[in-house]
Formats: sequence, C-alpha cells, structure tokens
Amino acid sequence: MADFGTLCLFIALATSGWAVIASFNGWRARSGELILSAERAVYATWGLVFLVVVSLEYCLFTDQLDLEYVASYSNRALPMPYKFSALWAGQAGSILFWLFILLTYATIVVLLNRRRNRPLMPLVVTTLSVVSTFFLVLVNFMARPFLRLAFTPVDGNGMNPQLQNPFMAIHPPCLYTGYVGLTVPFAFAMAALATGQLGETWFRTTRRFTILSWFVLGTGILLGGWWAYVELGWGGYWAWDPVENASLIPWLTATAFLHSVMIEERKKMLRVWNLSLVIMSFLLSILGTFITRSGVISSVHSFTKSEIGPVFAGFLGFSVLVSVGLLLYRLPDLKSDNRLDSFVSRESTFLFNNLLLVGAAFAVLWGTLFPILSEAVRGVKITVGAPFFNQVAVPIALGLVTLAGICPVIAWRRASPRKLLEKIQISFWALIGTAAALLVAGVRDLYAIVAFSLAVFVITTTALEFYWGTRARQKVTGQSAGGAFLSLVDRNKRRYGGFVVHLGFMLIVIGVTGSMAFKQEATATLQRGESFSLGRFTMRFEEVENRDTPNYEFLGARLAILDGGRQVGTLEPGQNFYKAGQDPSTEVDIRSTLREDLYLILTGFDPQAGVYTFKAYLNPLINWIWIGGAVLILGSWFAMLPDLRDRKREAEARLREMELHAA
Amino acid sequence: MRPEARGASRPLRIAPARAVLVSLALAPAVVTALATGGALLVTARPLQAADLTPQQQVESGLLCYCGCAGLTVRTCTCGTADSVRREIAERLGSGETPQQVIEAFIARHGEQMRPAPPKSGFNLVGWVTPFALLLLAGGSLVALVRHWQTRGLLPVAVGATGRGPAAPDAPLTDKERDILKRVERELKERV
Repeated sequence: MADFGTLCLFIALATSGWAVIASFNGWRARSGELILSAERAVYATWGLVFLVVVSLEYCLFTDQLDLEYVASYSNRALPMPYKFSALWAGQAGSILFWLFILLTYATIVVLLNRRRNRPLMPLVVTTLSVVSTFFLVLVNFMARPFLRLAFTPVDGNGMNPQLQNPFMAIHPPCLYTGYVGLTVPFAFAMAALATGQLGETWFRTTRRFTILSWFVLGTGILLGGWWAYVELGWGGYWAWDPVENASLIPWLTATAFLHSVMIEERKKMLRVWNLSLVIMSFLLSILGTFITRSGVISSVHSFTKSEIGPVFAGFLGFSVLVSVGLLLYRLPDLKSDNRLDSFVSRESTFLFNNLLLVGAAFAVLWGTLFPILSEAVRGVKITVGAPFFNQVAVPIALGLVTLAGICPVIAWRRASPRKLLEKIQISFWALIGTAAALLVAGVRDLYAIVAFSLAVFVITTTALEFYWGTRARQKVTGQSAGGAFLSLVDRNKRRYGGFVVHLGFMLIVIGVTGSMAFKQEATATLQRGESFSLGRFTMRFEEVENRDTPNYEFLGARLAILDGGRQVGTLEPGQNFYKAGQDPSTEVDIRSTLREDLYLILTGFDPQAGVYTFKAYLNPLINWIWIGGAVLILGSWFAMLPDLRDRKREAEARLREMELHAA
Repeated sequence: MRPEARGASRPLRIAPARAVLVSLALAPAVVTALATGGALLVTARPLQAADLTPQQQVESGLLCYCGCAGLTVRTCTCGTADSVRREIAERLGSGETPQQVIEAFIARHGEQMRPAPPKSGFNLVGWVTPFALLLLAGGSLVALVRHWQTRGLLPVAVGATGRGPAAPDAPLTDKERDILKRVERELKERV
C-alpha cells in the first residue's frame, strides 16, 4: 500500500504539472482541447491524491510501523478514531491532507463552472494547479508520508496525548478547509487580473466560497479555543500563540473583504482594495501554514518543525511577486470613480470597519513576527505574548463592536444625523442602562463595563432591525407577525444572516469579557476529607479515583462540589499516563452552566502520602463564547443559502459583461 | 434618510414638534450618559497588579520555560512551573521584592521569560508601531473620505440617487413609512 501511495503521489505531481502547463497554454493559444485536458487533469489529480490519502489511512489502521510516519504518530493501542485523525497529526500527513482539500475545492470549482465563466476558467485552473503542484513537490520530495525506516519498531511513539481529543480531531480539518478555501477567490482574482475581465463576475462567483471558507476558518479557530480550554488544563482558551495568531490573521482580512465587497457591489468602488484583500488573505493563509509548519517561531505546535521553511518562504515570495505584479499591471484599468455622498453613511462605516479589521490583522502579525525582528536587530530573543496582544486587540475590538451597532441602521449614501440619533435612541438607552446597572452592581472594571454596554447596544440595535422590518412588512402584506418575519428574512438572507452573525459575535464578546475580567482562581493541597473554596463553591476531596484503559491509566480524585452548603455535583480531575510512554496529560473536569464554569485541575499528587494538589478556576459567562460561536455558524449558513434574487442578479451581471465584450 | 435627495416636495421630514420631542428625549439620555461616563472614569479601573498577591504578581510576570508556549508560571500546570512557583515563594519569603524576584529569573533564563517586552529601547518600536500605523491610516482614511465626499457633491451623484418605491397610503405613520422605505430599498438593492 505504501509503494502504491508513493507511486500515486508521483503521478499526481505529473498530472498537476500538466494542468498548469495545459491550462496556461490553452488560454494563450485559445485551444479548447488543451483547456479541457487541463480540467480533466484536475479531476485526475484529485483521484490520485484521494488514493494516496486512502493508502496512508490504510497504513495507519494496519499499524505498518516500518513507515516513519506511522511509527511517529500512531501506535497499536491508539483508538480507531485517532488512527484516522493521525492523518493530520504530523507534518507530512497534514500537508497531504491540505493538498487533498485544495484539490477537492479545485474539482468542485471546475465542475460548477463547466459552462460558466469560461473566459476566466483556464487561468483559475492554472492558479489552483500551481498551488497544488507546490504542495505535491513538498510531499514528493521533502515531507514524505511513506518514508520507510531502516528497521521496524515494536510499537509506535503514539499520538501526542494532547491531540487525543475529539475537538482536536475536527479542529485541523476545519482550519485547513478555511485556509485552503481562500485559494478559490484568490484564483478567480488572479484570473480576472490576468484576463482583464475585472467586472463583477469574479467576486460574485466566489462570494459563497469566501463566506464558506471564512466561516469554516472561524469555526476552526473556535474549536481550537474549545480544545485548548478542555484539554490543555490552564483554564483559558486563547494564549496568543503564534499558530493561533496565524489562523486569526487571514480570518480578519477575509472579514474585511466580506464587508467591503458590498461597497463594490453597490457603488463599483474600492476595486483595487477588494482585490488586495483577497490576495492578502491568500498570502496570509500560506504564511500561516509556513509559520505552523516551518517552526520559524517556536510554539506549542513545534512538534511539526522541519526543514521545509525555506521552500515555503520561496513559494510565498513567488506568490507575492506574481499577485502584486499583476495588480500593479492592471492598476490603470481598475480606476474607479470613487465618490461618497456623506461622511455619515453606511459606506463610510464600512471603510472604518475595514480600517480596524486590517489594522487588527497587521497588529497581530506584527506582534507575531516582532521576536524575529528583535532577534535580528538586537540579537536578543524575546517573547511577545498576551499582555501585548490584549493591549492592542481590546481597543480595536471595542471599536468594531461600536461600528456593528451603528452600521446596520445607518443609511447608504447619506444618512441624516438626526434620523440616525432617532433610530439608535432605544439602543442608546439600553447602553446607558447597562452601564449604570453594572456600576450599581459594583462592577469597577472599565473595559468590562464598556464591553458589556456596547454588546447590549449592538444586540438591541440588531433586534430592533428585525422587529421594525417585520412590522413594516406586516403593514404591507397583511401577514401574521411570524409570516412577515419569515418572508422578511427569506427575501434577504444575506442581510439577516449577517445580522445573526453580529449577534453571535456579541455573545462571544460577552463571554470573553466575563471570563477575562471576572476570572477567579484558588489553589489547595488537600488530604481526603479536606476542602477548599472559591467564590460561592466549596470543593471537598472525597475519594481517589484510578482507572485503567488499554491506551492509558487515569489517576485522579473525586471531589464533591458544594454551592452554599448544598451538594450540586462531583468533579473528577486527574491525569492520564499513556502506555506509549509520553508525558502524562492533565485531564480537567468542568462544572458548566450558563452563569459560569467551575474548572478543576489536579496539578500534582503524592499517592503514598495521600496528598493531592488542586487548582480551581471560576470562569464567569465563558459558555456564551461557545453559544455565540454556534449562533455565528447558524447565521453564516443562513447567509450562504441560495437566493433567487441573487441568481437573477448574477445572470444580469453576466449579461452585462457579455454585452460589454460584444461591444 | 436623505431628505435632501428627494427634492423640494418634502424639504423637511421631521416636523418641528417632533424635532423638539426627539431633542427632549435625547437630552436626558446625553446627560445620563455623561454622568455615567463620569462616574465610570472616577470609580472604575482596569484590573491591576495591585489586586494580586506578590506571589501572583511574580507568577504572572514570568513565562514558563517548559515549552508550553505562551503560558505564564501562574497558569502553567507543568512540573517546571511548580518548581518555579516554589522558588518564588522562597525568594519572597526571604524578603526580596516582586520586581527583584522577576529580575533574578530574567537574568538566569533571558528576556524570553517575560510575557511581553518592556516598554523601553528598541522594544518601544514593537509597542508603538501598530498604534502609530492605525492612527496614520485612520487619518488618511478621513482625508480620503472627505475627498470622495467633495466629489460626491458633484451633480452626477445627485442624479444617480434614484427613486424610492411609491409610499403606501394613509395608515402608516411617518416613522413607519421611513423604515418601510429603507427596508424595501435595501431588499431591492441587496445590502
């Protein structure tokens, strides 16, 4: 199977290379034959890489320990689901998996556009195939998944125990699907730039791909946070680790694009800016992979370090040169008649939203790369961590929240300030009320008060938009409230889906603020029967709990949780000692409610002396982060649903472009 | 909405009486806002080092060097952090100040053990650049929007504002008509 996989990889390199050559030359020579051949080569490459993935999975499931990859990331006792996810546990496998996702996208794009966007397609295929050929070179020659060891070990090293978690099994596929998805709009942007067909087609065609990859990337980031929270055992969900940052940065620029593209749709403005955002998002996703995979900045994910760094840097440089070069070349054609009717308009709030989002992306990138700069300039290795990022990100985030409150109610073109004030009156009162109530309740944290009040402001504004819209439709159509509401949101899925996304974002703001500003902690070393308390909870150490499983041995403790003297449950924190011999992993136990999480860690123990050390965190409102994430996902899905109106518009846009060409 | 654009037939959309009402409603809101804001500035404060015990101050001022990237000694759960915590307690017990303890660890393990670089020397570049660029970009954006706005005042743009849908009849109030118009227009124009 391993040899079969190696062979398939090699042929896939050839077919992918052929797709690059054939589609590019087919475009230049206007040869339908070559173009068709290139598209078939994309299907073939997908099929071959699919076979490679199946081969590697087969080797993992059948414990072919003579393969370096299997021996490094799996072992005989590893549970089946994790043998499956071992595909993306190590470097070679994850690059292969990345490649597979990219080719899946490419195949879908080619399939969907068999009869559409014909002028753009050859160069779309070229771009996608250049990227896939690069990754195929990596897996064929540098990060080889089927590399054989000189001997066959008795058992494998097993998977890093921290990765043996259901969230960790889904988190990388989500991140990759998001990252890689950004290649599709990039490919269309490149094709539009190269062919000079810079109309609306390229972004209309890719809008859904962009939303899809944006929301999958967001989901991946959230799942990563959830994983860190339940698995790493330090009571938090975001450490501003370089690898986390690398996933956040392209997400921020993609968010900026999703907003500013609306201005281009309506006013044909900002064309260069939107192309730049698409290019930036793609380059940043490659940079993210580079940071994750090259070990350029040491981080928790450093188990994936290798020598592929320079090759990645070279590819990144090549992509920058080509994309920026094309953009500059087309600059004269991209001149648009930028004009705004007023400062107080939705257009300008979108511009400032873009400023903040791209500013945040830059700040996070800057902080992530500054240690390298510092080492180069001063020769001193430093760390840029949470204090820096929090100081930079919190004000920017609050600015974005404020805009999210004003933006939906401000009119396009020109809003009268008086009308605007009238419209945000109720929300404004809600904001003041929240701030006052928090002050009266004794909250003294400035950021917390501002963040909570602003979140309430945005939620009120958004809810009122739904309410007013429904009321207005009711008056017109005479429908019931429910019917009017449904027809309202159904008629503009993107707008109202977007509002739901905003609501989810606000819940996340509330959760993050609550768990950052009001976190409490306590540590205690106890013997059986003793207890310690945190907030209104008392934790009593009841019993030692040890369990044996084929994969690991669990050593832990059972504690009774008392809330004001009444027992409300038990928690069993502990540590897993893996039989494959890695370091033990901390297994936290959490009592989770909408109000707060009680997070209990067993940090150390001496079974002989019967002494156990516990650490407890009280994380208020933290669950709203995950609930907000779910709302965000729902909203994104809704915004992506097909819209008849959209189809009509797309058809019209295409017609216009065809007329333009005919003329 | 943009009453100006709809021409002379409806020069002012809010009757003077309504304008007075709106201002009356907004005035107390502004006063309360100012009062709350003032109270906030006087009484509120971000969570500061002063809230922490000396032990916690030192623990949050040092990164764990066990490889659990980005975690401070205070949050890290590994054995290394445990031994560092013990040493901090001993040093504090022997009379050293939190700052002295932090410096001792930095001297031994290097600058990397700080969660963020100090705000001095070359590191200032790191701290200041994002804000400086954001301010610069913000300033340029304001200038750009002003420039575009002057262009927007040219007659072409006014001609392009288009016609709103016909207003429905009697039972709608002024406010409802505005909202309805906006919703309808936005539905049409795809926000």
